[in-house]
Amino acid sequence: MTSATVSVVGETKESTVRTGRIVLYVALTVGALLMITPFLWMVLTAFKSELEITKFSWLPGELRWHNFVEAMQTAPFLRYFRNSLIIAVGETAFTLAVCTTAGYALAKLPIRGAKALLSYFILLLMVPFQIILVPLFLIVKSIPLFGGNNILGQGGIGWLNSWWGLIIPLGAAPLFTFLARQFYVSIPNELAQAARVDGLGEFGIFWRIMTPLIKPALITICVFQIEAAWNGFLWPLMITTSDAMRPLQLGLAIFAQNPAEVQWPYLMAGTALATLPMIVMFVFAQKRFVEGMANVGIKG
Amino acid sequence: MSATLERPSPTLAGPRTVAPGKDSRRLIRSQLRAGWVLIAPALLHSGIFIVIPVVFAIALSFTDYSFGDSWAWVGFQNYSDLFNDADFRAALWNTILYAVVVIPISMAISLFIALGLNQKIRGLAFFRTAFYIPTVTATVAVATIWLWIYNPGSGLANGFLSLFGFAPNSWLSDPGTALPSLMVVGIWQGLGTKIIIYLAALQGVSRDLLESASLDGAGRWQKFANVTWPALGPVQFFVLITSIVGTFQVFDLVYVMTKGGPGTETTVLVLDIYQNAFQALRLGYASAETVIMMILIAVFIGLGRLLQRADVND
Repeated sequence: MTSATVSVVGETKESTVRTGRIVLYVALTVGALLMITPFLWMVLTAFKSELEITKFSWLPGELRWHNFVEAMQTAPFLRYFRNSLIIAVGETAFTLAVCTTAGYALAKLPIRGAKALLSYFILLLMVPFQIILVPLFLIVKSIPLFGGNNILGQGGIGWLNSWWGLIIPLGAAPLFTFLARQFYVSIPNELAQAARVDGLGEFGIFWRIMTPLIKPALITICVFQIEAAWNGFLWPLMITTSDAMRPLQLGLAIFAQNPAEVQWPYLMAGTALATLPMIVMFVFAQKRFVEGMANVGIKG
Repeated sequence: MSATLERPSPTLAGPRTVAPGKDSRRLIRSQLRAGWVLIAPALLHSGIFIVIPVVFAIALSFTDYSFGDSWAWVGFQNYSDLFNDADFRAALWNTILYAVVVIPISMAISLFIALGLNQKIRGLAFFRTAFYIPTVTATVAVATIWLWIYNPGSGLANGFLSLFGFAPNSWLSDPGTALPSLMVVGIWQGLGTKIIIYLAALQGVSRDLLESASLDGAGRWQKFANVTWPALGPVQFFVLITSIVGTFQVFDLVYVMTKGGPGTETTVLVLDIYQNAFQALRLGYASAETVIMMILIAVFIGLGRLLQRADVND
């Protein structure tokens, strides 16, 4: 009865529904094009000659693969690339080590004040990095016994212009502790209990029983941390003084510094190099990204 | 670690013969110990690199510290100086303007696109990827691409608009278009995250409720206004807060594209903080600016909360 009335209504509305669908697809396609066009423009420019870019045109006359090689020679993009890779890998390893352990302790172990500690991490999660940048710089500069500092952290440069300084302060963000905790909470306690009865110690339970179960969540954390580390700019800008340490984003910014003399094809080639890894990672780990976002957005 | 192996046995004398209660207490104790060991690194790290800096920033803002050995407490001097500082006032105004324009527009567009993507369409993965790519791309890379798009001589923006007969514009060096040009990039780049969050929330809206509304003869718009919109409440608030915090922190985009120019047309708070701290080396002064930024973000979040409450009470 109800289904019959619905289908009658459906028939009369069918044509408006169809035009609605067409409008929807057109709108989404135009939107998607607006998102992709700048990247297309970047890639097309990377193949153009210096002469071709003096006037507006879409397509390059020929595909100058050579531009990529020449771009590598005008600026040490490969070294920047390697530096970004070191920072991303280092930060991710550090984050995994610190945040999974803390997340597990918050979720599963009976520490006094676990609730308060969780609120503490949630509160910290809301502190924007930009607010602490000046004091953070001073703290990193006075890490004792590094970079010529004495035991009181005076006299040298501490962790400035070092891998330590690039990796440690921004790693292990409270967001990831919180995320890890959310994932551990969803695993039943009975598993840990059974392992305890079998005589496995607490660290064994954490490492061998519980952590393998949240592998997908660990990938989510990795993906977000790699993205954050790869795309970071302000912090490396503040603490690096030599080209040997500079990551890709900083190298790009330096290369783009003087718009009057910028060699656009080379800059776009370098930008493509900086962009591609994250796009590839997103395409392959799309599900993880979406799940991670949904987790932070809805449960948080 | 061996706690569970030490079962109480009546035949053995000495400390090993423990009551079951004691056994479980030992178990709890070993869990407790493990708990503190596991959480200690995160506590230490967040203490050194987040909590101390926040406290430190507030303390610094009352000093004239400038990297040297000598410094003095100056009370509220930095704050009163700031409000007479034309650069700071421009930065404050531009940041608020940027937030007030970018946040509502990007939230509205994202919600529309998410509603569209929620219609059981074909090619969802493609559209999701397309809208999310600008978000996974580094802001510096995005900024260099747009720097080239806005190029007055042979950029895409002028090239495209000339097809419709518009005269070329020098987007980033014209005081009238510089900040709006940055806003466009900010909106463009920020859509992806919001779309994905909205989409996840839309998929959580109760199907039963929507269906019973259709059976009661509710139209598309009525269903949206009475079922979907109220259900999105908490997520709207989350998106709003993250957007506020995000737009107030805008830096990479401005640094690469305009460095705050022409004049101070596009100076924003973080850029001014950066310049005061690391070019003028006035760390106390820059810290006072960050404290003002902290207060401003808190005020904006408070306003957002009020807005949301008014919406719920409607």
